[in-house]
Amino acid sequence: MTATTGTTRRPRPGIDLHVLGPILALLVLVIVGASLNSNFLSAANITNVLSRSAFIGIIAVGMTFVITSGGLDLSVGSMAAFIAGLMILVMNGLLPTMGPGWPLVFVGMLTAIVAGTAAGFVNGFLITSMRIEAFIVTLGTMGIYRSLVTWLADGGTLSLDFGMRAVIRPIYFEGLLGISWPILVFALVAIVGEIVMRRAAFGRHAAAVGSNDQVARYSSVNVNRVRMLTYVFLGILVGVATIMYVPRLGSASSSTGVLWELEAIAAVIIGGTMLKGGFGRVWGTVIGVLILSLIDNILNLTDGVSPYLNGAIQGVIIVLAVILQRERKAEG
Amino acid sequence: MTFDKITGATGAFALTALLAAPALAQDTRVIGVSIPAATHGWAGGMNFHAQEAIDRLEEVYPELDFVLATASDPGKQVNDIEDMVATRDIAALVVLPFESEPLTGPVKAVADSGTWVTVVDRGLAQEGIEDLYVAGDNTGFGRVSGEYMVSALPEGGKIVALRGIPTTIDNERVAGFEAAIEGSGIEIIDMEHGNWNRDDSFTVMQDFLSKHGEIDAVWASDDDMAIGVLAALEQSGRDDVQFVLGGAGMKEMIGRVRDGDTMIPADVTYPPAMIATAIELTAIGLTSTAPVSGTFTIGSVLITQENAEEYYYPDSPF
Amino acid sequence: MTAALSLAGICRSFGPVQVLGDVDIALAPGRVHALIGENGAGKSTTMKIMSGYLAPTRGTVSLNGEPVIFAGSQDAEGRGVVLIHQEFNLADQLTVEQNIFLGHEKRRGPFLDKAAMQAESRALLERLNCRVSPRATVRDISNADKQMVEIAKALSREARVLIMDEPTAVLTEREAEVLFEQVERLKAEGVAVLFTSHKLDEVARISDDLTILRDGRVVSQGLTAGFDQDGMAEAMVGRDVSSLYPERRGAIGPGTALEVRGLTVPGHATDVSFSLRKGEILGLSGLIGSGRTETMEGLVGLRSATGEVRIGGKPVSLKSPKQAQAAGLCYLTEDRKSRGLLLDKGMRENLTLQCLPQFTDWLIDTAAEEAALTKAIAEFDIRAPSRGVAVGNLSGGNQQKLLIAKVMLADPDTVIIDEPTRGIDIGTKQQIYEFIHALARAGKSIIVISSEMQEVIGLADRILVMRTGRIAGEVSGVEMTEDRIVRLAMGLGARREEAA
Repeated sequence: MTATTGTTRRPRPGIDLHVLGPILALLVLVIVGASLNSNFLSAANITNVLSRSAFIGIIAVGMTFVITSGGLDLSVGSMAAFIAGLMILVMNGLLPTMGPGWPLVFVGMLTAIVAGTAAGFVNGFLITSMRIEAFIVTLGTMGIYRSLVTWLADGGTLSLDFGMRAVIRPIYFEGLLGISWPILVFALVAIVGEIVMRRAAFGRHAAAVGSNDQVARYSSVNVNRVRMLTYVFLGILVGVATIMYVPRLGSASSSTGVLWELEAIAAVIIGGTMLKGGFGRVWGTVIGVLILSLIDNILNLTDGVSPYLNGAIQGVIIVLAVILQRERKAEG
Repeated sequence: MTFDKITGATGAFALTALLAAPALAQDTRVIGVSIPAATHGWAGGMNFHAQEAIDRLEEVYPELDFVLATASDPGKQVNDIEDMVATRDIAALVVLPFESEPLTGPVKAVADSGTWVTVVDRGLAQEGIEDLYVAGDNTGFGRVSGEYMVSALPEGGKIVALRGIPTTIDNERVAGFEAAIEGSGIEIIDMEHGNWNRDDSFTVMQDFLSKHGEIDAVWASDDDMAIGVLAALEQSGRDDVQFVLGGAGMKEMIGRVRDGDTMIPADVTYPPAMIATAIELTAIGLTSTAPVSGTFTIGSVLITQENAEEYYYPDSPF
Repeated sequence: MTAALSLAGICRSFGPVQVLGDVDIALAPGRVHALIGENGAGKSTTMKIMSGYLAPTRGTVSLNGEPVIFAGSQDAEGRGVVLIHQEFNLADQLTVEQNIFLGHEKRRGPFLDKAAMQAESRALLERLNCRVSPRATVRDISNADKQMVEIAKALSREARVLIMDEPTAVLTEREAEVLFEQVERLKAEGVAVLFTSHKLDEVARISDDLTILRDGRVVSQGLTAGFDQDGMAEAMVGRDVSSLYPERRGAIGPGTALEVRGLTVPGHATDVSFSLRKGEILGLSGLIGSGRTETMEGLVGLRSATGEVRIGGKPVSLKSPKQAQAAGLCYLTEDRKSRGLLLDKGMRENLTLQCLPQFTDWLIDTAAEEAALTKAIAEFDIRAPSRGVAVGNLSGGNQQKLLIAKVMLADPDTVIIDEPTRGIDIGTKQQIYEFIHALARAGKSIIVISSEMQEVIGLADRILVMRTGRIAGEVSGVEMTEDRIVRLAMGLGARREEAA
């Protein structure tokens, strides 16, 4: 082997489309949005977009780790719906004994986190210990959670008691220093995620496992443990996202969280994480989530595009964002 | 579109229903009921009423047996119907088609074999196949909503509208609504699909509020979507929007109408219980000589504070 | 006689870097041409230009005397010039026959003509004296058989020029013998053969002509008979390499570092017992498939195994490489590309992967990592174009050095090195031998597994020979001869097929 064969790699941190691609796409969207509607850059609209990105965003940060370590989780949307349903049932059930108030909200939060951890553990256990393909395991649990929430709701909608709704509402609609809680939590999760990915042993191990699990195994890395943890963390983050979600409408049904898994995966890939694993970046995922929400927002704010075509425009932009990153490989 | 992952449980349920009790007495007759799965509130209500009607009718008519299958897409629904014919030898089929076109051929095949066919809500693409058509009136639903809008905004005004999943049903409702408000001075300044989904309608309404400085009223066209719209309104703190008109008759919304909520002054019915009407009429058709063939239209009724109590079903999940 | 394939004045640059300058080589029909040089000398590039994978920047490629420009490797194969890669280019999941005809399947109308393909595969394999079934799945056959399948594949394309990139690198000596017989046969059929190898005795034995490359230029060319092995090595390296194996210095300590009793790895090794003293280099020899690697993988917890292991006299239970590492025992894999290094990552990430906790408090201390890399680069003489280069772009020798640096970062008392110099040029080999000796002098205990008999004999103080999963014998001192080891590896008294 000579050093001259093989693909030429990019120089390290320099300026290239792989890094700039998603940022560029986001900038273009912001410029387009601002030129189409003067309210686009208003504080209220920005708050709206960021808050509604938070659910998918928090989940997508967890998904970044799962995908980086070579896994996949299709169950997150259903899992969110199931956890939301469970959280509502628990709070409604304890309402007569505990009364409406923050203690009950904390019980609800705890329910969500515990349920998320357990759900992530189940996925991780089946994938690592039973050695079943992640795609199959999570396709299965996706159906299971979706059915469970439908069953819990008797095919209808689970609604949080009206009294409780008033108590819990501020979690979505209010915040600190004018920034709403979902945005703050999303930002916190993203920053911690980015640091863990870049600077913690866990992030490095996740990338190593995704890059080549044999090398990781021969390098004394506990591959199963790393894989398991990525799913458990994702489950916890789904729980966190649900805690943000339930206060918004105070309800959960079988249509809650539909296609969230695909949006989260799309955001991760747009952000530059490799679908086959081995390399991930959390900040890219955040950009990816914002790109996806902005597309919807801009389409709602503009006239002249048939709403029937929303999906097509979204699809085109997703593919473009990924092509922008690919360009560098063609150029060498 | 809501691609639902519901197939798991409901599919399993349907399967057990299909496989259970294969050895029935000779003279037991089977009515097959095929409906879309509970992918949104209205469908959830419809599933509830179907199950309830079946439980009740099995008591009343011991000689009848029922098999219920819920489908998450048209292809699955065709499979369900084929399975019912092949394994349960159904004497009658009650079907709420997922979509008209794909179901027309398979249902026609069932009808041609001499089986009684009752079609509910969504008509088939070809006329004259079914023996009984229990129809919801989507154009009427739109018209009643439009007429209420005109009466509530006598001076005219600017409204935004949320549409459902892009389908014929949605198109008919919107056409009926637009026809009813024509010339009244009411202007629809924006319209987007909220897909009969609370989360989607919340997002769309937030964006409408960013985009338009003045909105007099909202036609949410569905009670699930109305809930999302109300949450967005509450968050914005805007007071220019006078009211929100939903539709379908969700008990929570009817409760608010009854209690005199000014934001929800009225609702328009599109009762999911029409499936129960269809099943019951089919059962009567099979067991008696009373004529039940033809078309049975269930009109959309305007619910206001005066008559809200009559339409409030506390047990229904919808 | 017209050359079957010749290069004249070939230059090739990658960006600003010139990797080949004015290379002239002529391959004659019915002759075997060896191309040797250190890693990075330009052997791969030369072969790729010959076989249409790369176009020359300047110069002429001629086929049977006519200048030719290959549109690509497909075009070259169509004209009878076939390259066999060092890492086999076979689809693991497909059968031998499917691989032989991959991309030029025989058809009868719209359907595959399976019968004809099987018959022809069988004929080709028979011609090569290879007993593998055309229906066997490639994943299940040995490396030697894979090599034969590659050659059969080339023959099925009616190759007139066969170019082989280190064909014997993954073969045992006996398997290599079979390959050489086939090369002789091809030669008799008038095929022009070019091959590369790091094993100079092979070169001397089977090649007729020889070209030596250094830094992208031909430094010496002529009839092989005109060179001795020292001369070849010197021309390649540009310095004196007569003493390949360092003088053994430093005493073996009195203490026992590692003691293994009755180690059994189901399916691979049975009742293996041995002990290792401090500062000792223990060689582990045996044919490929004798269970050498699997035994050691079982020992460090990479495979499930039973038996008694004592480190420094204390019994230990090693269920994972992590536990083994904690106990001071590390295994360095033979397969650096798919088990040793993350090829798409940089040197820093690879270096510290095994010992990340050392560099992590709450967060990874990247400055400390960089410092460790600087130290490793100096200590193990790792040569890379830049610090950030992906490890996959390093030469084999530098990858191996990095792998050693990575394992040594864990500072194990005992290290098992599996095939320390596979596919590595002679200059780097010498360095790696020097490292191994330096480790022993520093009091580390070392087990070296190698398929190269000379290497084990040159390095080790004592040699264990394995055969079918058991220790067949132990040799030391003057007993450490190739003949003795081969007899143990083959099983004493085995005369059935072994004339050699």
